[in-house]
Amino acid sequence: MKRAYWLEHVVFAYGDKPALTIDHLAISAGRITALIGPNGAGKSTLLELLAFLIHPDAGEMYFFGQPVRREDVLALRRRVGLVAQSPYLLQGSVMDNVELGLRLRGIGKEQRHRRAMDAMERVGLAGFEKRSVRALSGGEKQRVALARALAPAPEVLLFDEPFTYLDQSNVRLVEQVLSNYARQSGNTVVFSTHEQVQGIALADESISLFAGRSVGAPLVNLFRGALRNGVFDTGKLAIQVPRALDQGSHLSVDPEEIVLSPEPLNSSLRNSFRGRIIMIAEEAGRARITIDIGEKLNARITLESLQSLGLELGKEVWVSFKATAVKVF
Amino acid sequence: MDYFVDSFFAALRLIFQFDPEVYRIVWTSLEISLTATVCAALLAVPAGVWSASIEFKGKRLLRRSLNASMAMPTVMIGLIFYGLFSRRGPLGELALLYTPTAVIIGEAVLIFPLIMNLAMTAVESADPRLLPTLRSLGASPAQQFGLVLSETRLALLVAVAAGFGRAIGEVGTAMMLGGNIQGLTRTMTTAIALETSKGEFELGLALGMMLLLVAFSVNWLLQSADRSAG
Repeated sequence: MKRAYWLEHVVFAYGDKPALTIDHLAISAGRITALIGPNGAGKSTLLELLAFLIHPDAGEMYFFGQPVRREDVLALRRRVGLVAQSPYLLQGSVMDNVELGLRLRGIGKEQRHRRAMDAMERVGLAGFEKRSVRALSGGEKQRVALARALAPAPEVLLFDEPFTYLDQSNVRLVEQVLSNYARQSGNTVVFSTHEQVQGIALADESISLFAGRSVGAPLVNLFRGALRNGVFDTGKLAIQVPRALDQGSHLSVDPEEIVLSPEPLNSSLRNSFRGRIIMIAEEAGRARITIDIGEKLNARITLESLQSLGLELGKEVWVSFKATAVKVF
Repeated sequence: MDYFVDSFFAALRLIFQFDPEVYRIVWTSLEISLTATVCAALLAVPAGVWSASIEFKGKRLLRRSLNASMAMPTVMIGLIFYGLFSRRGPLGELALLYTPTAVIIGEAVLIFPLIMNLAMTAVESADPRLLPTLRSLGASPAQQFGLVLSETRLALLVAVAAGFGRAIGEVGTAMMLGGNIQGLTRTMTTAIALETSKGEFELGLALGMMLLLVAFSVNWLLQSADRSAG
């Protein structure tokens, strides 16, 4: 798989405050990648880095195989488009904003107009071109910013928290736009979200960020605690982890790796807990079961398994997983 | 009291009968102050926008010096340039003393820190997302500069107008460098100060009203610009 980005030992700090520490991170070309993480995890900073707005303090960054150099940033910035979480629109009309990127690239008036109109139509803003940006709602502003980023047809589209300010009907529309932009035109799309479900449903790949680090684990079933002698203690629960792990204050359990059973399993799975089902929900075509085992734990299973195991709210169930289903960081 | 009322009506007559002397003075004033403002703004606005857009060592010191020089008494500027332009001064050969050019230079130097300081404030109080947005859209440094100018144009206009207001209303520099020469360097402020003492109270009053008119017009324009921006 061709890589749009490759980051190696990248460090970025705001003054003394480290914001990103990334050992290795790859973003595939022509696919949709979700950056998933809680607020403050460094998602926006990573997007700014990918948009070449900030430069790493240390480490190497490659864009489509070429090392990123400070003197090339203008040319590089013109190959990507960024939609900020709370975008800034320049004074003037919607059209003034949407065609700005094209104008800065020296594209002639006629072509500019045509491409801007096309971009506006794609985000459902046809007929908005003469409106003043002052009269727009938050969701409309975000779609203007999306059209503005799309109009120059960047190879990479970066979108910070696309779904935070949109109402339900526009979420579908924007999902469609992002999906088409990658799947029909072969471009790369990277978006950030703090919602696991959104990330997994729309994206081909996902990267989890936690406290400025890419953690290579889905950020569900996230616990804080202390690691001692191969056991991670959350205060309420002691979880067996691989012996090789020796440091970290956070632990996550992959919900796909959790086995549910009505009876205790006689198996090699090193973690086994008895709990009670407190929630069952459908999520992206699968069942998400929340079990209280002292801590709340989420498991993801197929709808068929949900039926055949006869799982119901309030029922007792055994929860088992391998020590290797656990990530500590 | 009669003296004041009579003079007031005499002044109005001068204005509404288009007394050539009054209008020549008003015109000289506008010409000198406008030229000084344009010259100062051409340097101060780009300097202010530029120094506000980048981080550099000594920015605080620059800010402090600008603030300090805004408090410079106009007569001190007059005094310094008098020394430079007087015949025995280092620039004496240029024979600039008592010419409109000397007043223009003095006033431009006087209002430069004011315009630059306000221009810096204009850019610094602009939305912090402006520059990142322009950069991510692929704007070159020159394009960024142009777009920052255009996005903050109203605040910059306020800065320039404030400079003009100070130039047209000051008397120290115009008097020391211009010398109140009729038809050449006699501005509204120098005429008010000097002609009144020669007994021409009506002329002084007429010019005072014109000066207020100019000052109020500029202020009114700025307020409406501010409203349309808000």
